[in-house]
Amino acid sequence: MSANSLVELTIDGNKVSVAAGTTVFDAARMQGIPIPTLCHQQNETPVGVCRMCVVDVGARVFTASCVRPVEAGMVVNTNSEKVQRARRTLVELLMADHPSPCTRERHSGDCELEAMARREDVTRPRFAPHSTGRAKDGSSPSIAVDFDSCILCDRCVRGCGEIRDHFVLARMGKGTAAGIAFDDQRAMGESSCVSCGECMVSCPTGALTNKVFTHTALGSGPAFETVPVDELQQLPFFKGVSGTFLSLNRGAVVRRHFKSGEIICREGEYGSTAFYILEGKARVSISNPMAHVKTKGVVKKFLGKLSSKLAQRQQDQRDEETYKRWIPIDAPVDLEYDSPVAELNAGDLFGEMTCMSLYPRSATVRAETDCTMLEMLRNVLDIMQRNKNFRAQLEKSYRQRALDSHLRAVPVFAELTDEFISSLRENVELVRYSPGQVICRQGEPADSFYLIRIGFVKVTQLHMGGEMVMAYLSRSEYFGETGLLREDVRTATCTALDHVEVVRIGANDFKRMLAEFPQVREKLEVVEQERMEMNRARLAVLQDVPLDDFLTQGLMEAQSLLLLDLTSCTRCDACVRACADAHDGVTRLVREGLRFDHYLVATSCRQCLDPLCMVGCPVGSIRRRNSLEVIIEDWCIGCGLCAENCPYGNINIHPFNVMVEDLGSPGHKKATVKQKATSCDLCTEFAEPSCVYACPHDAAHRVDPRKFFAGLLKPGTGADKA
Amino acid sequence: MRIDRTHQKWLAASLIILGVASAVYVFYAAQSPSGPSGGSPIGLTFGIVGSAFMVFAGLLAARKKLPVWRLGRAQSWMRGHLWLGLLSLPMILFHGGFRFGGPLTSVLMILLIIVVASGVFGAALQHYMPNVMTAEVQKETIFEQIDHVRAGMIANADALVAATTGSGDTAGMKGAARSAIAVQTVALTQEATAALSNFYVREMRPFLRNDGGERHPLADTSTARAIFVELRTVLPAETHDAVKNLEDICEEERQLRRQTRLHHWLHGWLMLHIPLSFALLLLGCVHAFMALRY
Repeated sequence: MSANSLVELTIDGNKVSVAAGTTVFDAARMQGIPIPTLCHQQNETPVGVCRMCVVDVGARVFTASCVRPVEAGMVVNTNSEKVQRARRTLVELLMADHPSPCTRERHSGDCELEAMARREDVTRPRFAPHSTGRAKDGSSPSIAVDFDSCILCDRCVRGCGEIRDHFVLARMGKGTAAGIAFDDQRAMGESSCVSCGECMVSCPTGALTNKVFTHTALGSGPAFETVPVDELQQLPFFKGVSGTFLSLNRGAVVRRHFKSGEIICREGEYGSTAFYILEGKARVSISNPMAHVKTKGVVKKFLGKLSSKLAQRQQDQRDEETYKRWIPIDAPVDLEYDSPVAELNAGDLFGEMTCMSLYPRSATVRAETDCTMLEMLRNVLDIMQRNKNFRAQLEKSYRQRALDSHLRAVPVFAELTDEFISSLRENVELVRYSPGQVICRQGEPADSFYLIRIGFVKVTQLHMGGEMVMAYLSRSEYFGETGLLREDVRTATCTALDHVEVVRIGANDFKRMLAEFPQVREKLEVVEQERMEMNRARLAVLQDVPLDDFLTQGLMEAQSLLLLDLTSCTRCDACVRACADAHDGVTRLVREGLRFDHYLVATSCRQCLDPLCMVGCPVGSIRRRNSLEVIIEDWCIGCGLCAENCPYGNINIHPFNVMVEDLGSPGHKKATVKQKATSCDLCTEFAEPSCVYACPHDAAHRVDPRKFFAGLLKPGTGADKA
Repeated sequence: MRIDRTHQKWLAASLIILGVASAVYVFYAAQSPSGPSGGSPIGLTFGIVGSAFMVFAGLLAARKKLPVWRLGRAQSWMRGHLWLGLLSLPMILFHGGFRFGGPLTSVLMILLIIVVASGVFGAALQHYMPNVMTAEVQKETIFEQIDHVRAGMIANADALVAATTGSGDTAGMKGAARSAIAVQTVALTQEATAALSNFYVREMRPFLRNDGGERHPLADTSTARAIFVELRTVLPAETHDAVKNLEDICEEERQLRRQTRLHHWLHGWLMLHIPLSFALLLLGCVHAFMALRY
């Protein structure tokens, strides 16, 4: 029998004639006879796994109509009572494991399984539920995964492999442990998934759903227009992005037109979008004064008095600031300290960190000429970041425009020649990491050097008793040099804290650089030595005998505590008044906090060994000196994120009246209040902090907690002030 | 300020000054046929030294107004205030020959005795009370914030009771209370609802609003404990977490009251000490002027 020959059969009493090779399901469909199904889709190869489409062909058992070819003389019954009973039992079994209502049913009311259950009048399954035991996977910015809602229909697997040729999704496990998996069972956000959205479109339940970004009105503000999907797909960097996905996320990307001089975003503001410049030029700058808060004695000696002022580097050169600094911002360029202004052109993307990790805007961007930009939400940016065309364009732009300044922003690389950087251009690789993803692991062979382009990296070391945080690194900081310098294994594990992008320089290029530039090697060795010293100091801390309260209150993490001896303190608040007097009325100390022994650990900067305040600073202006003292750099934009991040509420925002350029009317200046983050500076102008000096009852002490409480931690050794 | 071993040097110095002054006074009193006099050179010297001590003690207030000025550590000023202020009394007694003299000097002597006595009383309080406060008020807050904290507690308690009795929402609640409500899912009987509502409206809320003062039954720890034990017996087990939260709120209120009381003890004596000190210094100036002029 040839494939083109017709086969006659009977379906529900109707004689039909279809081409040989046609499935029973399709034959019935051609006759207008609906057969319910979950796993079968017309554009995918039938697999017959859900068994919902079973029909009675007169055989010993029912058959799945989607995979059973027609046979001559076959008598098919699609809706007999027995078939209906079998189908109902299947629905009950599936519903028993299905969290009802699932995400899809809740959001759009179109879960196919639950719709089928309603038709079959299955309200309360007779069977005991069984959870997959797998947590939900929210790692992808655009697609939510709920493994409990998965009915193993494989539609997503076929959509990913057959339709899109990505082959990221597959089935894993056996029996009740069976489920879908991304790559080798990685989190979706960390897998090679390109977020094309095909799996989500294919899924009949709430197992794979679109993450809807609500409460963000992209359709507001300056002139905007929603871009039709087909028009988006014609843009070079949207080529290859799933039209279905774009259509589902309609409104998550808009085209905006900005007139020359118009503000696109302001430093310090919170946002959730990134901008891609289609046409025109924009100017990116920092308007907050380039200065740090200096608490200065206005009268010397015994009549000493303090006043807080904004001090520029020329007036107050601090230690370790002898080199020219570049300010890292959330754009493809860094800003020069002396002139924090740069130009952005067509093809540049800015606001990635704000969009992906919801950090405050790091700089103010103003349209230099009339501009057209695409403003997009995180799910769209994530798709673009995974799009090969867009990535290629972005990397090319980075190599051409930003690699130079980015490398030179790192003091140890300041002396690299243009020729060498040119030779690096084609060899470096931009690599992205999702939050929590390990970039390199302690003990692994050192094969690369990393320079952070976007995001924050946590450096940890594994020691007896647990993992210890050694540092937090942000844009323009680097890691991986120790293993390469020693030609040994990695000495620490580096993990992405948020959406991180690093410039990876291979071991060979790194060695070439050391050979060509011995001065770079020398500087790197000095830095490595300093880091090792810091690590040793931290390790010594761990060897103290811990007390529960000491640990739970985070006192072990503190390098300097303001303690109030509660047996002497009369609660007169002289310390608070002194602090306020020393800092223009803005106290950096609050006489409240947790108690340890008979001491009150006052709310004042602890100079933490694990300074969480540094994580997220959009311009990397809060840092730790080699002495481990936390300082705030001149380019702080006063966004307040460090104050929010400090777990002890020890960072304050200090307002200053300054004259700044009026962005609304170029060429003019206006008086405005600008803010700078401040923390306890220990009144370094004087020998003793003002709070301690002003305490009339000898109750206030600034101490190193491990030394001060040594007697409590190691009974018998006695306590002493630092 | 605690009077501890760190005061040894000041104590020794004060005893030496007192010993020398006493010896001089005894010798001078024995040598004076008409008895010691404030107008004599030695009497005048005692007066000047005593006045200087008083002035130095009084300058502590000025020092506190300039906390950042590097005029010496505040605790050194406080030690000087304590010991020199104390020494001023014998110096002035030596100056007056242990006689009160005329009306002005009598007033001055009385003022000085009260000021020194109140100072000693205050020093004793500052020595002991911080310990008591630390031990008895575990949930201590900043004194000026007590009313604010109390308002928050009342809001929490209102919301907790409303949610437990099903008569309101939990929107205004804070962490601990809200989590307590999360486990409270069983509908209460009318009797249970009435019992909880009555207790809250008639007993607890007035207590939190400070109606009834210290005589309120919930102001006493053991009475309060008994009241809450009784309340638990009439309420279903599902509400006991909420009742525990209410009991904790009452305990916090008791601690705030204790803190207020102790704070008043710690600082209340200054209401007498400071004005009288200023009066003493002022009248002392008048006395010096009049004595030198006439």
